[in-house]
Amino acid sequence: MRRIAYLFLAAISLLGASGSRATAATRPHYGGTLRVMMQSAPDALTLPANATPADYWDLARTLSLVGDTLVSLDAQGRPQPTLAVAWQSDPSTRRWQLTLRRGVKFHDGSAASPAAVAQILGALHPAWNVRASADAISIETEPATPSLLAELALPRNLILKRNTNGIPIGTGLFLVADWQPAKLLKLAANEDSWEGRPFVDAVEIEFGKSLHDQAIALELDKTDLIEAAPQAATAPQGHGASSSLSLPVELLALVFSTNSKAQDPRVREALALAIDRKPIQSVLLKGAGEPAASILPNWMTGYSAVFSAQANLPRARVLLADLRQPALNTSYRLSYDPRDPQAQLIAERIALNAREVGIAVQVSLSGAEDIRLMRVVLPSPDPATSLGEAARQLGLPQSESSTPRSNSVDDLYQAERGLLAGYAVIPLFHLPVASAAGARVRGWTPGPLATWSDAGSPLSGIWLETRAEAGTR
Amino acid sequence: MEDIRNRRGSGLRRDGRIRPSLLENNDAGQWPTTNEMNSPSLIPRYNQPIPHMRARASSGLRFAWLTSFVLAAVFLPFSLSASPLADTARQLAHKIAAASGPGAFALEVTNHSSLDDKAAREVRSALEAELQAEGVQVAKAEQAMGTVEVVLSDNLREYVWSAEIVVGSDEKKVALVALPRSSTGRPFAPALPITLKKTLLFAQEQPMLDVALVEIPGGSRLIVLGNSVVVIYRRQGSPAGRWELESSLPIAHARAFPRDLRGRLLLRRDHLFDVYLPGTFCRSNSAAPLTLTCNDTDDRTYEDRTYDDPWPLTPEDGSLRAFYAGSRNFFTGALSPGIGKISNVPAFYSAAALPHSTYTLWVFAAVDGSLHLVDGMTDQAIRDASSKWGSDVATVNSNCSAGTQLLVSDSGDAPRDSLRALEIPDRDPLPVSAAAEFDGRIVALWQESGGNAATAIMEQNDQRNGTGWYEAYRVSVSCGN
Repeated sequence: MRRIAYLFLAAISLLGASGSRATAATRPHYGGTLRVMMQSAPDALTLPANATPADYWDLARTLSLVGDTLVSLDAQGRPQPTLAVAWQSDPSTRRWQLTLRRGVKFHDGSAASPAAVAQILGALHPAWNVRASADAISIETEPATPSLLAELALPRNLILKRNTNGIPIGTGLFLVADWQPAKLLKLAANEDSWEGRPFVDAVEIEFGKSLHDQAIALELDKTDLIEAAPQAATAPQGHGASSSLSLPVELLALVFSTNSKAQDPRVREALALAIDRKPIQSVLLKGAGEPAASILPNWMTGYSAVFSAQANLPRARVLLADLRQPALNTSYRLSYDPRDPQAQLIAERIALNAREVGIAVQVSLSGAEDIRLMRVVLPSPDPATSLGEAARQLGLPQSESSTPRSNSVDDLYQAERGLLAGYAVIPLFHLPVASAAGARVRGWTPGPLATWSDAGSPLSGIWLETRAEAGTR
Repeated sequence: MEDIRNRRGSGLRRDGRIRPSLLENNDAGQWPTTNEMNSPSLIPRYNQPIPHMRARASSGLRFAWLTSFVLAAVFLPFSLSASPLADTARQLAHKIAAASGPGAFALEVTNHSSLDDKAAREVRSALEAELQAEGVQVAKAEQAMGTVEVVLSDNLREYVWSAEIVVGSDEKKVALVALPRSSTGRPFAPALPITLKKTLLFAQEQPMLDVALVEIPGGSRLIVLGNSVVVIYRRQGSPAGRWELESSLPIAHARAFPRDLRGRLLLRRDHLFDVYLPGTFCRSNSAAPLTLTCNDTDDRTYEDRTYDDPWPLTPEDGSLRAFYAGSRNFFTGALSPGIGKISNVPAFYSAAALPHSTYTLWVFAAVDGSLHLVDGMTDQAIRDASSKWGSDVATVNSNCSAGTQLLVSDSGDAPRDSLRALEIPDRDPLPVSAAAEFDGRIVALWQESGGNAATAIMEQNDQRNGTGWYEAYRVSVSCGN
């Protein structure tokens, strides 16, 4: 567990290393085009409900350049004003009122009025009752939503209009100048941004670039900002480049499908006890991430120690000894995401661990799956919001008992325990995401949450050195 | 007994019961429903925590509680006796006792939190004392009827302590408590006893663009120019007394301010002060109650750039002025009225005047990283200065050496910054002081009214907590090291 604290410090120190570039004692320069590369190749500038983690982060970062949410969360998970400048709720947290910032305009020149914002938000959440007043919107929800502010800070709640071609029109730092689906997005600085014009004139995002291609492009100074493998982020960066490692914001877990042959919780628990996470982390994940037995990482909750991630083979064998023969003679099919480069090796290692206690697991991408190795996003520093999002992505039924009644650590623990009861999901690892910036990028404060920002708009403080200046460093 | 109760702080109610747990109190506290940063007191807060009501204990039970309390008070480490950590230890002990019942238990405490080892040991001692008071004795494993494994951990906002309680072969029970982490205790950079003397004037979390210290009837005042407000503080008591908020004057402006916002606060003779911000000029009145009148300045276009009314480059009333780019962070280079024959220099971040015997040499820190020395006849560019000079320069009058020194910020690539004093006897800058180090980035450097010192604003980021704050320094020059 102390390791977790060290990892946090490591993440922060990496940020500090990159932050040192951000806080150089020269005033920010205006101008230039920031070149960015991303893995995903989206056909549309929308955030799909069931995006893969890579697609999620790419589209969340991209759309957050164009639009703003009503509130944002800072590095400590505290709500900060964005389009909304103040908020309040009734004691039941069913009715909220958010006062909007005055004078904000969409990129098409129309006012981001309460009526316009209410219309967009109402369309995003048909179950909410969203109304506009003179300078505020009110939101009524059923059931109560104590974490509404964290929900509003999620990228899916960006306040965006769409033109007839589906191009997003927001209030953010950049407006869409050119969009070539799955290939290239050109963004231009919003001169009238309510946050102040960004330092860079433009951002060009090339999509569909593998992590390897991105690393090469950064090395050759053909791009400024890339995604990186977490393992690579801890390595020294050459040519003045800097890297950033987020806190663990993804969960790798085994999920039992509803029609899985492994319906007996004892089989599932035995499998959970059979998995030796440590070698997987040190060898296959090359030291990245943290072994986990909880859905939420310790940095969100502080209580993950009570969910033991230690393998316990004797206990697994005791559980299996009580089973009838058919359960022991069954072979369970384990599938994985073929786009995840590490998934197959991890799945095979899990099958090996299972075999050691007498559970037959076959790794396969064909046929009906009994167990799936999944990577899901923990998108918010607010633990209740991330718990709900993880449960949705994992396909776990969300009952009243598995939804925290409040943000207290007791309620959160009870809700998480409820989701893990029955071993429908076996958490394996909490994983960080990494990014790297080239030598001429300054003012980059990606924050610890993988959003490329501390709070507010990503890349908001970024600026570019001239080539001569970068060469002197 | 009353004395002990007072010493123990508010952990105990009048009826001898332990007060509602911090965790319960904090249920509504984790998520502020009103953005306190914006309007802490103006907007009603609907969902204040509701005090937990408890029935009075019987007198017999009260006596038992008091006995336990005395035991806890005796065993509790003195340093923890009235601290939030002690309260939290008490809460956890209460929850453990409720789960375990009375008896002997083996206690294991593991620290995975940011608490140091000494604090963790004190927490353990406090926990043992509180468990004792709750009727749970700490024993060796072979003599215990069960185990209690406590892990001290933390998340982004709180310390979280968990306890796993196992009695015999029963299923383990879990108890959790949380304590908000303090955001206090931030270090301030110590002043370095070198030629450049820096004195901390003020620190706050909100951005500062400029500050001014002024002596007026009624005592010292500190005027702080923030992003959209001028705040006036009055010194309490002695010269070393605390600054107390006296008034806050909002700055009305129609246009959005640019990124890397800069602003200038200048004391005046006929009224208290002027404020220059991009596209906005404000003027205070001269008598109490103090008011501030702000106007958007006229936009003009010069070489495809928009700029507004010229800002004075030195604190004097008749100073040379320069036009500031209203949507950027630099001066356009257009001067008013000009230096001799020269009325335009390259766009620059800052400027300073160095008096010489027959002329004044103006130093401009240009946007392209070069340094320009302008004497009214020539504009000499020093191109290789970018490796040593930062964006901010200011002059300070002294009784040392040439009588006026140029303060220059560093151009380093570190989160720290520094100021050095230079003189330019001919056209070659000559360092005359060691560097005065700053723990953060200098975001503003202006000559103070009177010219005997400069005001430096430093921004410091705490990467561990994801927080930051600003410190305002008065930087003066003393002769000798």
